[in-house]
Amino acid sequence: MVFKWLDERLELKKFKEKFLSKTFPTHPAFLLGETALFSFVTLVATGIFLGFLYEPSTRLVSLFGAMVPAAYASVVKIDLLPMGLIIRRIHHWSAMIMIAAILAHLLRIYFTASYRKPREINWLVGLSLWGMTMVAAFTGYLLPYSQFSVTATSIAYYVSKSVPWIGDWSSRLLFAGDFPSDGTVPRFFFMHVMLIPATLIGLISLHLLILIKQKHTEPRSNRDRKEAQGGRKLIGIPIWPEQGAISLSFFLFLLFVISLMAAYIPLNPIETYGPPSPGTPVMRPDWYFLVIYGFLKLVPGDLVFTVLGGKITPETIGGVIFPASNFIAYALVPFLDRSKEPQHYMENPLHRPFMTSLGIGAIVFFCMMVVAGYIDVLHITPKAMTVYALVATAAAWSTSYALLRRYNRKRGNNAKA
Amino acid sequence: MVDGNSGKEGGKEGITRRRFALGMLSASLAGAFGSLLALLKVLAPEKKGGGYATTILPGDVLVYAQGGSAGAPIMASSMKVGDAVLAYPTGKSLNPANLVQLIKLEETAFKPPTDISLTDQGFVAYSAICTHLGCTVSWAASAASPAASFTECYCHNSIFDPAQGAKVMAGPAPVPLAQIGVKVMQDGTLAFASDFDGPIGPQV
Repeated sequence: MVFKWLDERLELKKFKEKFLSKTFPTHPAFLLGETALFSFVTLVATGIFLGFLYEPSTRLVSLFGAMVPAAYASVVKIDLLPMGLIIRRIHHWSAMIMIAAILAHLLRIYFTASYRKPREINWLVGLSLWGMTMVAAFTGYLLPYSQFSVTATSIAYYVSKSVPWIGDWSSRLLFAGDFPSDGTVPRFFFMHVMLIPATLIGLISLHLLILIKQKHTEPRSNRDRKEAQGGRKLIGIPIWPEQGAISLSFFLFLLFVISLMAAYIPLNPIETYGPPSPGTPVMRPDWYFLVIYGFLKLVPGDLVFTVLGGKITPETIGGVIFPASNFIAYALVPFLDRSKEPQHYMENPLHRPFMTSLGIGAIVFFCMMVVAGYIDVLHITPKAMTVYALVATAAAWSTSYALLRRYNRKRGNNAKA
Repeated sequence: MVDGNSGKEGGKEGITRRRFALGMLSASLAGAFGSLLALLKVLAPEKKGGGYATTILPGDVLVYAQGGSAGAPIMASSMKVGDAVLAYPTGKSLNPANLVQLIKLEETAFKPPTDISLTDQGFVAYSAICTHLGCTVSWAASAASPAASFTECYCHNSIFDPAQGAKVMAGPAPVPLAQIGVKVMQDGTLAFASDFDGPIGPQV
């Protein structure tokens, strides 16, 4: 009845025939992007709950007899509500998992060369999604207004202020004046719950629309099967109900895993950090910022130079130039490693020594930067750590390149770059 | 151009109606959106005299900045060699630029570039705001040998030597912490005796 009523108005049958019956190729690696998407859905859902209860203000209120910022007090109160703490933890864990899934998805695309023509645009959209998600996570750091929040945001404030030429103005634009000041929490709140999610939803829609238009890349093995079958367009299962059922059960499984982690692994214990106070204890950012955090520790303090009247400081190098140059390098990948013909099958990473070894080198470098984040507990000096990181990266890169070249020579391939 | 004015004829005439209309439209759009750029100024408020401007005056008594006795005067007798505490000038704890680290060392331990005239009975005070990215520095106390203790910022592990004018020994901090004069008063409390001898806070 309801279906008929809706169908007469929305042509649901036609939609099912035209869209829901589209073929979706199956491969376990194709669930990585979905993991990111479902984490985002979880973030929005839990975020709505938190948004009802959070107070974006630094005015001092009384909490158990102490005067603390209202933002901090409201998050402590959320934690005390039935289900409050676990929802806040699910929110935080989903963010950690979303970024992990984005990275894994990105690596899958990179190592299988799925960024090549015609998918360069979607590679760029994907990179923007990654960057935007990091900004979303970062603005979320400040909101509980604990000692941790204030320290982390203060570091970012000075990084942004250190940018030559525009830093003074851009930091005031981003942080609504100096930090700490009363303007920052409301501005970050607006960005975190409105501006960035809206941008993310727009970018995700674009990402998916381009995907639907261009279709998924397929495993290599599908090509031979297709030729045997007489050249069908895509091999896979229909979006509805088959893929839909897989995705839905996967979503529920992911939710189960996140809830389990949220229940048993505490994170961001703001009651332990306490409200902002004079001292700065040992604190490390969430895992996805460890690379920048470690890199900041390695840049020597006397590495200062002047370009066109702008002072380039270690803070700018570690906090701005390093991440920005990374993003630019990734954005250039599909324009440097090109293919003339449109490519619809995943490449085997073993057959691409140059790009694969480059990727392995980058992964090792980032792992070393994470280690650099822990030089204080490992008792390594920044100089020694810099040497270790460079040696390990060079070794991983050259060894993997040599091994892959040998592998391809043995197979009789003339290894392409 | 597909209209009658395209091609050579259009080139001779220089400007077609369509190009004129397009030009006017682009100019008005650019003007309309360009004027929105003025909003960027509104969205970036001017400084409110914040930043790191200290309000310490010579004679201000040092009080504990944190812990159970926060706000209480620090007694010189309560600190032994190798101790350090975070301190504020009394009544001026709301300004982070006023936060200092008060350290007690052997009187003979100080080496240049420490300004020894700003120390008293082994007490020396430095700005507690790391010159790298503004975290509060901590005291890495060595129980075994108090002389081996040092000041460390736990954010990115900059290490400062308190016996050498808070010189940067390791890590990303660009310049030393600024020193400020302290003296022991007759009633056993400590008071500030000068202004900072250098800039405080991140040097950006």
